[in-house]
Amino acid sequence: MNFKKLFAKKSFTATQQGTKGVTMYRIFSCLLIALLGVVVNAAQAADKPVLTIYTYDAFAADWGPAPKIKKAFEGQCDCQLDFVATDSSIGILRKIQLEGAATKADIALGLDSNLTDVAGKTGLFAAHNADAGALSLPIAWQNTTFLPFDYGYFAFVYNSEKVKAAPASFEALAALPDDFKIVIQDPRSSTPGLGLLLWVKKTYGDKAAVLWKRLAPKILTVTKGWSDAYGLFLKGEADMVLSYTTSPAYHLIAEKDARFKAAAFDEGHYMQVEVAAIVKSSKQQQLARRFMQFMLSGDFQSVIPTTNWMYPAANTAGDLPKGFDTLHMPKTSLLMSGAEVEKNRKVWFGEWLAALNR
Amino acid sequence: MRPGGGIVSGSSLPGLLVGAGLIILAGSVFGVILGLQSEMTPGDNVGSSIAHVLGFTLLQASLSTILAMSVGVAVAWALCHQQRFPGRGLLVALLATSMVLPTIVVVLGLVTVFGRNGWLNHVADLGNLSIGGAIYGLGGIIIAHVFMDGPFVARGLLQRLEAIPAEHLKLGRSLNLSAWQRFRLIEWPAMATTLPGFSAIVFLLCFTSFPIVLILGGSPKFNTLEVAIYEAIKLEFDLGRAMQLALVQLAVCGGLVMLAAGYRPQDASISTSAARPIWPEPRRIIIVQAAIIGLFLAFFLSPLISVLIDGLAADLTGLFADSTFQRALGTSLVVALLSSAVTLACALAIALAKRDLASPLRMAQNRRTRLVSWLLSFSGMLYMAMPALVLGLGFFVIARASGVDTTRAAPLVVVIANVLIALPFALAILVPAAEKAALRFDRQALSLRLKGLARWRIVEWPLIRAELGFAAALSFCFSFGDLGVIALFGSRDFATLPWLLYQKMGSYRTTEAAGIALILFVVVLVVFVVVPRLFQGRRYAQT
Repeated sequence: MNFKKLFAKKSFTATQQGTKGVTMYRIFSCLLIALLGVVVNAAQAADKPVLTIYTYDAFAADWGPAPKIKKAFEGQCDCQLDFVATDSSIGILRKIQLEGAATKADIALGLDSNLTDVAGKTGLFAAHNADAGALSLPIAWQNTTFLPFDYGYFAFVYNSEKVKAAPASFEALAALPDDFKIVIQDPRSSTPGLGLLLWVKKTYGDKAAVLWKRLAPKILTVTKGWSDAYGLFLKGEADMVLSYTTSPAYHLIAEKDARFKAAAFDEGHYMQVEVAAIVKSSKQQQLARRFMQFMLSGDFQSVIPTTNWMYPAANTAGDLPKGFDTLHMPKTSLLMSGAEVEKNRKVWFGEWLAALNR
Repeated sequence: MRPGGGIVSGSSLPGLLVGAGLIILAGSVFGVILGLQSEMTPGDNVGSSIAHVLGFTLLQASLSTILAMSVGVAVAWALCHQQRFPGRGLLVALLATSMVLPTIVVVLGLVTVFGRNGWLNHVADLGNLSIGGAIYGLGGIIIAHVFMDGPFVARGLLQRLEAIPAEHLKLGRSLNLSAWQRFRLIEWPAMATTLPGFSAIVFLLCFTSFPIVLILGGSPKFNTLEVAIYEAIKLEFDLGRAMQLALVQLAVCGGLVMLAAGYRPQDASISTSAARPIWPEPRRIIIVQAAIIGLFLAFFLSPLISVLIDGLAADLTGLFADSTFQRALGTSLVVALLSSAVTLACALAIALAKRDLASPLRMAQNRRTRLVSWLLSFSGMLYMAMPALVLGLGFFVIARASGVDTTRAAPLVVVIANVLIALPFALAILVPAAEKAALRFDRQALSLRLKGLARWRIVEWPLIRAELGFAAALSFCFSFGDLGVIALFGSRDFATLPWLLYQKMGSYRTTEAAGIALILFVVVLVVFVVVPRLFQGRRYAQT
């Protein structure tokens, strides 16, 4: 007689019924909580005006800028600030386009300067009417619909323990042996990918395709988004990854790791300016305008460096956190107008595809 | 219930309704997107030509399918004859997990092992060899597909092999068949009936594969239709081109689905005793089998172990104390439970209806019933051919058109989408089991006038509970690791674990992402070990 087996079986049936009961209980309690949540939400909404901001996921994340900005703005506006996360920068625009006039968004935050023309053409956004005097970008900013909140520079990031002599220009990169590998992002799906395409175009003009052909053997893989590429790089798969000059600051400040560096390129670095705009169909125009002005204030700007790992767009931010001083600050800032990008985007994509398909 | 009468019986009604609902849903998703297209101005396309994309998609899917099927057959055969070695039970449970893990977890695991800086290259370095960056490009796409789908095929075929009636094996042994003869005369026929079904599923999975191609593809020239659809919708917002591509995909996959739906395994043999007769293997065959299992273990386990190692480096206690993580875990569990329950209900309804239509004592002779039965299979498998983005977009527009707030509709939509993704697999598992149970016991049950719940309890439940358990575990895990529709509907208030994982990866937090990946993996594994046992209960006492 196998007592052990018999015992095991008995207790097994008992737990089986036990778990069933607990599971049912859990499901019901979860549903109840969800229901309660809806009711509470509705009640809150009745009290105060709600300002809804669509933004990309990393901005809205609990460790991103959103929670601190919510707290600061709610402290002065007698309103409720809600962030809704989309999966990417372009996802913000697509979501508002899909929802059309019924969209809940009052503000779109996190578009990039290369997208302003595409977004502007949809006619979904209204003038911000904010006093942009506090802006301190390395370039002049004229757009009256889209207002910058931070900026950064694209750069190739490497591990200084593994790469002793990083290339200092595209020419030097192209001249390296083919077993030096880089990971880049697809310009059609990722803003850094698009930034690199424009960076090369701005530097090489008509000869861009020639450079891409020389770079092709060094491209380990082309990923859809920044995170896939950066993940591969951190695994040691590639020698360099396309990211930002500010990426090393994250490793230095948050992880106390000084190994990562951005390769400084002689031709200068292409900029990314992140912008926000008021949605035309919003019923909270006044509150939305108030937020746009708040965006350039110190309460907002000082949060940016160590949560979004970018440079603040206004001079209200105060001193940059320690560690940012070690970063490479490009002497030449490269940027194309949104209109120029929009006009040529398709031709340039075609040229890029053809050069890499060879 | 008149035998051969062609009447819709009570037990097939729910299944027919579910099937009709599925087809109507697919139709309306396409309808609303086509309607939406007229609202938007289509742009001229940027991507490669459709013929080029289609050509590459077909090539990689065919190569991946052939390899995954070969690996599946070899491993199932070896495992079937090696019933006793330590860890075998765990290995069999692990087989199905590779397919339901979030792809990004699998891809990073594969890169850790086979990548440029991977374990294999470090080992090869010792002998001055290197596979370099072979994981990127066509090779990488195929390796990843074999890793994800091969074990699933192995697990399915292993079940078939273990269900070979003991009488066949006893007879074979008394005839003194060699291992090769045994394979050709007994085992191959037993597997052959399910091979077309499995090949179709694997081919569809590879054909519509998306994140793998994006990360490991290496270059934009390796583009699949699904990726092209992603580009058309996400980047160009050119819904016209997206629908054009989606229709090409549906035409190719739909054709395959139609063939697979019309295909019915003819094999009615069912194992009557749980105990396999002993058939000692010759020594060299044992060596071959051990080698197959060993190689497979190395290939299959090393990426999973790397997920484990990377995950353990994360601050797991800190993760569990994090309220965002707790909420995401809770949401994922509830969504997966609901999806799994609904999938099971739908699959069971369709399976029972198909059984009614297939059973020779019921309505099988009728030509019309054959069409209905085909339509039922088609409705369940249809969603394998539907691009996830098209599905998500369709739901989004439907929610908008019906005046539902899209953030409030999110939980419902995600559950529905997860059910649709898991349904083809649940059907592939449940339909043959239900048909076999009917073939075996219909005559007795009908003559005893066993009906309804009583019949279910006595006939179906004991025979298909194991399959129910497997289907439940599979659909739970599919939902738990899914990152399809949530990409359009997710928000701070409705985040699942895979969504959180991507958020962490998207903001430098790779170690925390690795921790979440580990937790996802452990939950999936535990579900695959525990759930089938819950359903199995006292299985052996019944037979």
